[in-house]
Amino acid sequence: MTDPVQDNRAIVVEQMGKCFRLQRSGTRTVKSAVLDLVRNRGAGKNAFWALRDIDFSVGRGETLGIVGANGAGKSTLLSLLAGTKVPTTGRIRTSGTVSSLLELGAGFHPDLTGRENVFLAGAIMGLSRRQMRERFEAIVDFAGLRDFIDQPVKHYSSGMYVRLGFAVAVEVDPDILLIDEVLAVGDDNFQKKCLGKIDAFRRAGKTMLIISHDLPTIQSISDRILFLEEGRMAGLGDPHEVVGRYRASARARQAGGHEREWGTGEARIADVVFEDEAGRKTDTFSSGGLLRCRIRFQSQIRIEDPVFGFALADANARLVFGSNTQIEGFRIPAIEGEGEVVLILRDLPMGTGNYLFSFSLHSADHRTNYHRLDHCFSISVLSPSRFEGVCRIPCQWQLPPATT
Amino acid sequence: MVRWWREIFSKRELVWILIERNLKIRYKNSFLGFFWSLLGPLSLIAIYSIFLSLIRIPIALPTLVSGIIIWQFLAMCMGDALHSIVGNANLVTKAAFPRLILPLSMVGANAVNFLFSFAVLLAYLLAAGADFGPVLMLPVILLTQTALCLGMALMIGAANVFFRDTEHVLSVVMLAWFFLSPVIYGPELVMTSFPRWVHILFFLNPMSGILTAYRGALLSQQAAGFGLVALSFGVAWAIFLIGLGVFRAVEPRFGDEL
Repeated sequence: MTDPVQDNRAIVVEQMGKCFRLQRSGTRTVKSAVLDLVRNRGAGKNAFWALRDIDFSVGRGETLGIVGANGAGKSTLLSLLAGTKVPTTGRIRTSGTVSSLLELGAGFHPDLTGRENVFLAGAIMGLSRRQMRERFEAIVDFAGLRDFIDQPVKHYSSGMYVRLGFAVAVEVDPDILLIDEVLAVGDDNFQKKCLGKIDAFRRAGKTMLIISHDLPTIQSISDRILFLEEGRMAGLGDPHEVVGRYRASARARQAGGHEREWGTGEARIADVVFEDEAGRKTDTFSSGGLLRCRIRFQSQIRIEDPVFGFALADANARLVFGSNTQIEGFRIPAIEGEGEVVLILRDLPMGTGNYLFSFSLHSADHRTNYHRLDHCFSISVLSPSRFEGVCRIPCQWQLPPATT
Repeated sequence: MVRWWREIFSKRELVWILIERNLKIRYKNSFLGFFWSLLGPLSLIAIYSIFLSLIRIPIALPTLVSGIIIWQFLAMCMGDALHSIVGNANLVTKAAFPRLILPLSMVGANAVNFLFSFAVLLAYLLAAGADFGPVLMLPVILLTQTALCLGMALMIGAANVFFRDTEHVLSVVMLAWFFLSPVIYGPELVMTSFPRWVHILFFLNPMSGILTAYRGALLSQQAAGFGLVALSFGVAWAIFLIGLGVFRAVEPRFGDEL
């Protein structure tokens, strides 16, 4: 399973990857297994890397949030940390007892009573009956199920199930608590209790890993956030920054339905690379800084006097600003084959948030649209100052001399 | 290896609770509950005694019912073994604990059940005035049978995770095994009419030696020499060790397959 860690880190994940071999259909039978062997599974067309090159550590007492789209590998990561799955490559080390809230109460047996299930769950986590007896009252109180504790759990509502599961998981007092999307269940009252418990856990110096789609909550309770995208680490660090990046990516993925691409295809905008002041490739910029877009194009024909345009919109695709080479009086005599044009925006006036770039390539008379990419490129902007609106307009406040 | 055992030992509480759970669930929702573990063998003995009084079969009732009750321990374990991992998928995929505990507690629950049946059998044999042999050997025989059951259960439980054909294969194997073992006949049937190498083959089946030893202790039947019985016991313990090895090797993959 997992090896202990010697320093003050609670979890160390090193170069870890998890590969699943997908089955063609249904459950395996001897026949299909033999066929697989005969077919020389080789590199494995059915191999699917759910996680790859995962490398991070969590300090003792730290709360790490995990965000990512569905299927990004969040839950797989948690089950690897819980020890129910084993990494294909690399390794995971943890120190202390791990309690997981992966699907609360999943280990409950429907025919057993709440009381019996509590003791079973405690034993799975390695507690003795005596230790469980000491905690039993607190568990029942926290779950608020005093009247139902001797009923078989099959008669419980799903809310009661989850409440009991959460109560057990937190009352067994683990060193590391893994929480998978439980902040989304239960009524407001119970959610408040959960958040309170999570906070108490934090103050008690426990280590927690939390998966949630509730971004504002996870942002506020995490010390750092890990962003998973298609099984790889797409970001790890400051909650605001990483959540911002996740939001940008999620938006870019769907662009809220604003993403569009069309054109004749005779010439194409092949790629756009964003760079900061120092020429580093990035998609996160600071307000007031410089943004450079390297627009790479490919043209199968010779186009005289082409016009490149761009537009910048906010996350809801509301236009902030747009212009083109024609308006700016920048004349390109002709293009043919591959090439690049560079767009520079200085003193970015936008506030913190995510923005969508559109690019276009069309003829000087606007009759022919060679290629348009609407809202296809997402960037985020971080601003130290807070203001209302999209852009900062330089402003100054004064008092008339007479009043001083 | 050492850590593996230490982990299992540290979760021994879980073994007890799961044994308890298995027993509770078996008789949950039934009116007579736990009495069934006594009523079952009792009615079995009654039915066979009526059957034997009606039909002429060359076997004594004590030999027959002891054979069937002892065989049932193995048969129940094998049937439950299929689901010992697959049926606990929710536990296996959600919580980390040594998976060996699942088949172990299943065999443990069946062993408890068997002890009740065995008590009924002993009571019957006492009432029937049976001629007891070296009864002090019974714990050793029981332990060997339990080891055999666990070894087989480990392999069957693990196999069923990867191949769902296991269930069908098992039902055929169990039927053949039943008739290859001296359950409804005594080993003397084989011992008196076949050459020596057949005897050895017959006692390579661990259940042959186990049943012979039980009947030696309970009924003073000396059907086979010590060597043949020891061979059977050796095979039983070998299956136990092989089962442990196989299970340990494939256990990490359970989480992915379920």
